[in-house]
Amino acid sequence: MASCGNPIADDSALMLSRPRFDKGKHCVKCKLNLGNIVIRHAVYCRDCFTPLVIVKFRRALEPHVNANAGTSKRPKLKASGSLVLGFSGGLGSAVLLDLVYKSYFAGRPPTDENGDPRGGINHPRNVSVWTSCAVCYVEVSSAIPEAHERTEEMRSALASYPNLKFIPLRLEDAFDESWWCRMTGNPDMSQLTLELGKDGLPTEGLNLAHSSNTLSPKDALRAFLTALPTPTAVSRAIQVLIRLLMFFTAQFHGASHLVLGSSLTTLAVSLVSCVAQGGGHAIREEFQEEWPPGLSPGVERGGSVRVVRPLRDVTMKECAAFAWWNGIRVPGRPRLTRVITGIPGLTKDFVVRLEKDYPSTVSTIARTCAKLEPKGTSVGECWFCYSHLQGGLADWKARISIRSHPNLKVVERLASSSPADSSVHPDQTSRLPPLDTHLCYSCITMFTSRSSRKSSFAPPLIHHQDMPLPRWVKPQDAEEAIPVSKNGELWVRSRQSEKECRESIADFLLPDN
Amino acid sequence: MSTITVKVEFGGGLELLFGNKRVHSISLPSFVPADNTIAPSSPQNSETPQLAKSDDPPLPANGPNQDPVKGLEETKEKRLDVQYLMHYLRSRLLTERPELFMDGDTVRPGVLVLINDTDWELEGEGTYEISDGDDIVFISTLHGG
Repeated sequence: MASCGNPIADDSALMLSRPRFDKGKHCVKCKLNLGNIVIRHAVYCRDCFTPLVIVKFRRALEPHVNANAGTSKRPKLKASGSLVLGFSGGLGSAVLLDLVYKSYFAGRPPTDENGDPRGGINHPRNVSVWTSCAVCYVEVSSAIPEAHERTEEMRSALASYPNLKFIPLRLEDAFDESWWCRMTGNPDMSQLTLELGKDGLPTEGLNLAHSSNTLSPKDALRAFLTALPTPTAVSRAIQVLIRLLMFFTAQFHGASHLVLGSSLTTLAVSLVSCVAQGGGHAIREEFQEEWPPGLSPGVERGGSVRVVRPLRDVTMKECAAFAWWNGIRVPGRPRLTRVITGIPGLTKDFVVRLEKDYPSTVSTIARTCAKLEPKGTSVGECWFCYSHLQGGLADWKARISIRSHPNLKVVERLASSSPADSSVHPDQTSRLPPLDTHLCYSCITMFTSRSSRKSSFAPPLIHHQDMPLPRWVKPQDAEEAIPVSKNGELWVRSRQSEKECRESIADFLLPDN
Repeated sequence: MSTITVKVEFGGGLELLFGNKRVHSISLPSFVPADNTIAPSSPQNSETPQLAKSDDPPLPANGPNQDPVKGLEETKEKRLDVQYLMHYLRSRLLTERPELFMDGDTVRPGVLVLINDTDWELEGEGTYEISDGDDIVFISTLHGG
């Protein structure tokens, strides 16, 4: 409750709590039955609530099914490939799985007296919209301390949904050469790493190197997560790895759609935390995105993949009530411990509390973010997360960075923070471009931000001078990386050493004496 | 002293906090302390109501026959409601992490409460007076997408 005065001194200063529903207790839809649930101040009975959720689900999904919109207002639904459903075991995933299965894969359609499909040929149950459906689960126990494996539990949860294929993945597959070779058909086993400073964290320049170490995928994953500077960075990295593992898997299996079970509440959380972590330029992709074929290097198989969130208009409360009343089993999702949730965890706490007292604000967050348009144009894709790469990032960072320090001791300490012993040959280092010019702002922040709090993430299992990177991080072709100006001029950027920089401005330097 | 039997169910992972048991049948007195004080449990049966101890406010000998308003005010009691039930669950049945179930005098944000298959917001939330045979469900929505 909010107050405008001192409730201790004045009893009337405390504002009365607002009623939870606007009108009477009868259902606003049928106006006959007594209501069973309150959704954003509107009362619905149980009989009207379930169809309402189904309508919201179909309204969010079906406009994106057909490859081309066409001219018909109600086109026949036919996707160009199969469907992959991202399943985390959480509430939204479980509800989405149930809705997708019952709407599109639940068996032969009932027929009317004439033997024709009941509901018409356009009804979801009568049309094979997708050729098949696969449920993709990413096991994250390797990244979470004291977590146990849940792959078999998820497999058993799908037992009540026959005709669906189960694709189990592991978070460490991102560092597994055999998995990447299977996805791309490319036998290239090389892996890139990031050089680390003496503090065990990536250096500011984000220098790439070819790795000469042979870590197992699990150890590489742990080394990668341990080298990240903050709990927020760890949360984001896990999220990016899961997202890309699912995308590559969907493309490999010839899927035209990848559906995720983000509810309106979790969507609002991801939007706010995305902006808080510097990902505002990619905010539209939080709603929906489409990956064209050939976007990922080496993955030639498959067409475009549309990532859709069909529950984006359904709140978490609606999902819970729907799951309970329809007997949907929710296996549950392993909760990242507080120590590694960071900004996403804090944002979730805030939004969930906000939704309890002010349920309409969650949809306001989503509607407002849907109106946002990123400034500037994209100049490519981020090498790590494959989101849009903003132009002019390096210039902007240079303008806001402090490049000199009056205290010489600090300068010397910073200059000596480069790794003393590197497992990389200097010639190999010089051939690879630095990563910072090929990362989006949120990824740069993820690798380079520093927290005043000591990270209490799991202690590193292996001490290394470099940080392994996922297999999909590869230098793009030189021609694709060269920016072209409007008049057709080619701009080539190369890193200058300190000696070269000094020589280029030698005429303007004052003598040291 | 009359007792009320209520069926309590947990879903969405909340059952893990209550000994991994989804359904509980609980018997409570029809009149309970207004400040939601829970008397210490006896070793024999933790799901049955406990007699008030000497330092607790005395329970009415024949509650239904008294003037309900005057009697309740004098003894600072109230009819059994959902708020008391939540305090009872936290004190007697919760095995770990009480902060995941309750926040102050109400459920933690993200927990959906259904009273006889109806949203508790339609029934007055914590002030709903429980009747014999009621079915109360606590569902956690915090598993995410």
